[in-house]
Amino acid sequence: MSEVKVGVFLSDCGKQLSKILDFDAIIDFVKNVSGVTYVARGSEFWRGQGLQTIVDSIKTGKVNRVVVAESVSKISEITITKAVEEAGLNASLVDVVDLKDHCAWPHRDAPSEATEKAKAMILASIERVKLLEPIEKLEFPTLKSVLVIGGGIAGMQTAEDLADMGFEVHLVEKESFLGGLAARAVRFFPTDDCAICIQSPTSDLKTVTNTSRKCVYRSGFSEIPNINILTNSKVVKVEGVPGNYKVTIEKKPRYVNEKKCVGCDLCTTVCPIEVPDEYNAKLKTRKAIYINTPLVYPPVYVIDAETCKFNECAKCVEVCPTNAIELNQKTEQITLDVGSIIVATGFKEYDPSVIKEYHYGEYPDVITHLELARMIDGFGPTNGEIIRPSDRKPAKRIVFVQCVGSRDRRWNPYCSSICCMISLKHATLIKEAFPETDITICYIDIRATGREHEYYYEKAREMGINFVKGRPAEISHDPEEKVLTVDVEDELLGRLLELKADLVVLAPAMVPAEGTKELAEILGLELDQDGFFKEYNPKLRPTETKRRGIFLCGGATFPKDAPTTSLHAHSAAVKTAKFLTKGKITKYQKTAVVNEDYCGDCEFCPVTCPYGAITLVPKDEGHFVAQVSDLLCEGCGVCVGTCPVGAIELRHLRPNQISAQMKALLSVNGTSKPLILAISCSECGNAAVDSSGMAMMQYPANIRVLKVPCAGLLQVQQIFEAFKTGAQGVMVIGCKPDGCHYEVGSEKAKRKVDLAKILLKEYGIEPERLEMFNMVYIEGDKFAETARKMTERIEKLGLLQLISS
Amino acid sequence: MTYEEKSVSSKFSDEIRHRLGGETIAFCYQCGTCASSCPVAKVTDKYNPREIIKLSLLGARKEIVAGDTIWLCCSCYNCQERCPQEVEIADVIYTLRNIAIQEGNVPDIYVAFAEGISNEGRIVPVSKFAEKKREEYGLPPIKPANMDALRKILQATSFSKIQFKKGEAQ
Repeated sequence: MSEVKVGVFLSDCGKQLSKILDFDAIIDFVKNVSGVTYVARGSEFWRGQGLQTIVDSIKTGKVNRVVVAESVSKISEITITKAVEEAGLNASLVDVVDLKDHCAWPHRDAPSEATEKAKAMILASIERVKLLEPIEKLEFPTLKSVLVIGGGIAGMQTAEDLADMGFEVHLVEKESFLGGLAARAVRFFPTDDCAICIQSPTSDLKTVTNTSRKCVYRSGFSEIPNINILTNSKVVKVEGVPGNYKVTIEKKPRYVNEKKCVGCDLCTTVCPIEVPDEYNAKLKTRKAIYINTPLVYPPVYVIDAETCKFNECAKCVEVCPTNAIELNQKTEQITLDVGSIIVATGFKEYDPSVIKEYHYGEYPDVITHLELARMIDGFGPTNGEIIRPSDRKPAKRIVFVQCVGSRDRRWNPYCSSICCMISLKHATLIKEAFPETDITICYIDIRATGREHEYYYEKAREMGINFVKGRPAEISHDPEEKVLTVDVEDELLGRLLELKADLVVLAPAMVPAEGTKELAEILGLELDQDGFFKEYNPKLRPTETKRRGIFLCGGATFPKDAPTTSLHAHSAAVKTAKFLTKGKITKYQKTAVVNEDYCGDCEFCPVTCPYGAITLVPKDEGHFVAQVSDLLCEGCGVCVGTCPVGAIELRHLRPNQISAQMKALLSVNGTSKPLILAISCSECGNAAVDSSGMAMMQYPANIRVLKVPCAGLLQVQQIFEAFKTGAQGVMVIGCKPDGCHYEVGSEKAKRKVDLAKILLKEYGIEPERLEMFNMVYIEGDKFAETARKMTERIEKLGLLQLISS
Repeated sequence: MTYEEKSVSSKFSDEIRHRLGGETIAFCYQCGTCASSCPVAKVTDKYNPREIIKLSLLGARKEIVAGDTIWLCCSCYNCQERCPQEVEIADVIYTLRNIAIQEGNVPDIYVAFAEGISNEGRIVPVSKFAEKKREEYGLPPIKPANMDALRKILQATSFSKIQFKKGEAQ
């Protein structure tokens, strides 16, 4: 590396800052700092002529390190680094300090003190850039193909979007037919239209299908170029990295050739095996070779391997006119290379038999909503008649019970959010078809919060559906009268009721789909407290996960109605496309790096890394060494704070840079108050410092802010180093623990601070000199107040005397 | 039960929540499972556990503590078993009774129970009839309670310090 030549560019914000800070004194100071070869003062340096000055100084070889004092450093950094890179200097050899919000504004009442602090801040920045090293720009290729897990309405819609955008899409469904829970639900609120109606491909195929809405079976979904539908299949293994996954799929045999079956139904007429039809709530039987309903996709029969006698019988083989039945089909292992994965595994009904007093599974006339939906289906087992399963007579009195196993601390504490609407939908559909039916809905609270949902509730009341506010205690059965009794208190009357019913319909909680836990393990995804897939951030990144490249949509994250599922599915498609569309991931190597000579394979860092970026790889006989994936590493440095031997460092903030900054920040005081080092994370912590300055909240200039990517980077030794370097007090400022931008950093920092306090006490130093604070942007006032209070606290403690070793 | 207070306050529910057995009262979302599970509520409309919880949450301390409803609970724990919010309803009612006892509002029968414990070590005194029946069945006579030990327990648990006053509630 050639000689270091630091250029310092000082913005006075249209001479506003120079009303407080003595710029002449600052420039005199800076000029004498070793390594500084160029100093410029201007109105602004992040755009226009100012930015050109920086570019020119690089191009003419005057400088090869850049320090810029500029307001709103986060934004300035973007344009400055871009310009610096274009000028031919490595973009990482730049540092931006904010003299406005971090110095002039909050110390405007004490101009001379502010000037001294400004000198210290710029000196710290100069010392840091002198030690900076060039950081490479890395490229990782990504495949333009996507795996969608789950063929319900979420999976189908996201798959359709992506295929239409030109991505190769593999849609994996574990059942034999597409449609998921929706296909069984028959109709959807609030439109009351068919659940199997989907948005069909709107571009090339629109000319064929004419409209954009179609039934699944005639939507042309399977004919979208780039879509590969794999039914009877599940994901068993996922390897690789974002952009390049190798996925192993296990495809169970269908025993019927999808390309040959014409759906003539001859096979079922000869099949001798008859079993209860689970799909249709066991309200009818089906054969060992079957199709769920005539309206499914693929319109191809399937053989139930558990009950079929195969070659012992083979009657279907004889009768099939197209020789479509292939009894010798075997389970296949399919390997797919995909750039991205979307989880759309949905939810399912909770089994309400755990609530003993409702006797589900014991009394045949106590059923669930999904079972009722099968009766409402004209193609269903009762051809649309509502019956009581015990004797198949029409159900004249129906009682709905809400919140069965949901909003219940014993089973599922959350509200499933869609069951009130499902009950209103089913009640109104039945009332419309059979007006003489007496329907009562027992509810705790009716939650009809969506668009047009309240009108649905209104309509139900107008139609004469009865509402009882109260959760039933018990359902009992009189076998002679063949009638069920529901014990419930109408709370509004304070009266105990005994509702007689032919049919009781339970609205069970909606819980994560079968296999959610296993899939989460395969994909390395987190589940939330209720067992659903956890999104990266519910507000900002609702379809992303902490595993970059893996996305979520639909009921896999929480029970959702159809409109919300659509929104979620389209959103996931956009995020996935955004991730893959460039064909590569570009990032600076601002990552952690391991010194293999020091690494003692203690496993601390792989366990701590919130992004799974660190793995232990074999080094020599019986020894492992930590290795960082540059692709997965987010550069937070939580691993650095965790490593007990200092074997891991951030390329963009080495420990010697932190030391140099500390030394510089504490080198000049200029105030009569004790120097306090505030080590703040660059996220919420620094935003709080920013906002206090922006709002001109005053705090003393003895507070010196040292910015690190995440408070979790901090090591206990660094806290001691701060005291040793001259700090009379140390503040550590991080995000709120549950809002930490790097998940665990704030919490880790707190532990370091607690530990350091114990050790300080051992050394005879007051632990009160050290404190951790959690702040966000809107708490600028809290930062200013904390800074003032901390100063008072340290002043009371008096001067810290350290005996140097 | 009528709600005589016109204003609402969380003072009483705070008091209950900080006493043993009353911790869970604020979980209640008024679903009524307790009321429709209650065998006492089935036979008298004077007693409704949901209403007791609601009145307590709204702060009707006087009505609850001086009233007689809390003494009607038969401690079958049906409500507590079935409550979806895991409100320990029967235990909350014990807590309310404890408050009532402190305020000197105890039905006679409970005073008799307390006296029985203090004097003979039994809630129900052993009757001549019972002794005769036991003899007929070949059962040994009931041994008198170890009053020395019991008194120590009653003292250690501060039971003996409680002034069981006969109150308005009967």
